[in-house]
Amino acid sequence: MSKLSKSILALAAALVVCLTLTRKVEAHHAFGAEFDPNRPVLLKGPVVRVEWINPHTWIHLEVTKEDGGKQVWMVEGGTPNSLLRRGLKRDTIKPGQVIIVDGYQAKDRSRRANGRDVTLTDGRKFFMGSSGTGAPYDKPENKDK
Amino acid sequence: MRIGLLLVAAALLPGQIPRTAEGKPDLSGVYDIATLTPLLRPDHLGDRLELSDQEAAALAKMEAARMAKTSQASNPNRTAPPKGGDGSEGAAGNVGGYNTVWTDRGTGAFKINGKWRTSIITDPKNGRMPPLTPEARKRAAARVALARPNTGDAWWVKEGLNPGPYDDPELRPLGERCLLGFGSTGGPPMLPVLYNNLKQIVQTPNRIMILNEMVHDVRIIRMNEEHEPPEIRRWLGDSVGRWEGDTLVVDTTNFTDQPALTSATRYLHVVERFTRIDARTLLYQFTVEDPTVWTRPWSGEMIMPATEDRIYEYACHEGNYSFEGILRGARLLEAEAAAKAK
Repeated sequence: MSKLSKSILALAAALVVCLTLTRKVEAHHAFGAEFDPNRPVLLKGPVVRVEWINPHTWIHLEVTKEDGGKQVWMVEGGTPNSLLRRGLKRDTIKPGQVIIVDGYQAKDRSRRANGRDVTLTDGRKFFMGSSGTGAPYDKPENKDK
Repeated sequence: MRIGLLLVAAALLPGQIPRTAEGKPDLSGVYDIATLTPLLRPDHLGDRLELSDQEAAALAKMEAARMAKTSQASNPNRTAPPKGGDGSEGAAGNVGGYNTVWTDRGTGAFKINGKWRTSIITDPKNGRMPPLTPEARKRAAARVALARPNTGDAWWVKEGLNPGPYDDPELRPLGERCLLGFGSTGGPPMLPVLYNNLKQIVQTPNRIMILNEMVHDVRIIRMNEEHEPPEIRRWLGDSVGRWEGDTLVVDTTNFTDQPALTSATRYLHVVERFTRIDARTLLYQFTVEDPTVWTRPWSGEMIMPATEDRIYEYACHEGNYSFEGILRGARLLEAEAAAKAK
């Protein structure tokens, strides 16, 4: 790699770091206030319904316990706006679609968790893989963004 | 919307901008201010305001690569994340947030007068906020001293803090309460945040409205009027506007004790300048002063590019399960701490 391109990359990296530092402290609410780091969860099961509410989506899924009993959990995701702009619609996500979620349970011990990573059963990211159009950036107007 | 914009653009001669029936520049439209140009310039760039084309391309490529990487498939046989937390910082508070696919912090830097920018802040020349006053430094230090890592217990009970941070819903941040968006998204000054960066401007001869996508915060700018009396305070301040030539100048005061801009107080005063530079782009400039916080005023500028994307409905209060969960969780942790202390 030439000296020039190294310095260009270093500068781009510095700007990304600056952007991240400015924005990482912010969010609609602190996930740290809501979720308990001592209660990690791995949830697997079919989607029951998705609440497409700005600024946070809530995905409901049915989990089968070891004793065979069923429990419905709610998983907190981000703003639906980002997905809509990337070509996903509310009917893209069908009830019955099996997903895997890892996250942490809410401090109030209700059956809620953050959707730290939400994927299909083969590991593909849920909202990327289930659109039927491939990646979010498939939307034509996003291609040259 | 798209056809409308095309028709307007097609009817204009080069150098002309759309105008209202009164002959004022027409600022109306929907804009997306997401950008990879940060508010603050990295220290080591000093007074350097501009990026080369190659540097801007590298920046966009780096962000695209980051998005591609975080969008890759995960291990389908993964187990739950580590007990005790995943070590994430900031708002992710040791539990992480959610997949990157939900965020939208822009895909490139922005250009002004044909040159890419290193930071939104342009004055001071180093692209950083000026030093804090001694009083503001003390307040900032007190805030930092109260921050605790998320260990999943009621630390405020153990430390005998009274009131505790979760004792009253009104002690919680405005974002958590759905009263304002986070960061300074609603402004003023209106700054880019992690997602939901759209702004809609609706213009009439005597009122100009700015709808912020995040939390649907709305600013109504009263043209050629005086400010409200000082006892009237608003979350987004009281904005009055006037035309200086073809530039809309908006003066905002009368903030509450908690303006959207971090560190600012009720003494915040913001002057914004909106100039239409072509059929699809506004130039947005602002100057911020609060003598109780910063030792001198500071200024920044960025562009507001038009977008064909729509602003969707918001239902922050209706869907705010998080807030009840946060308060209820605090009660439960407090009860546990009390039982342990017995």
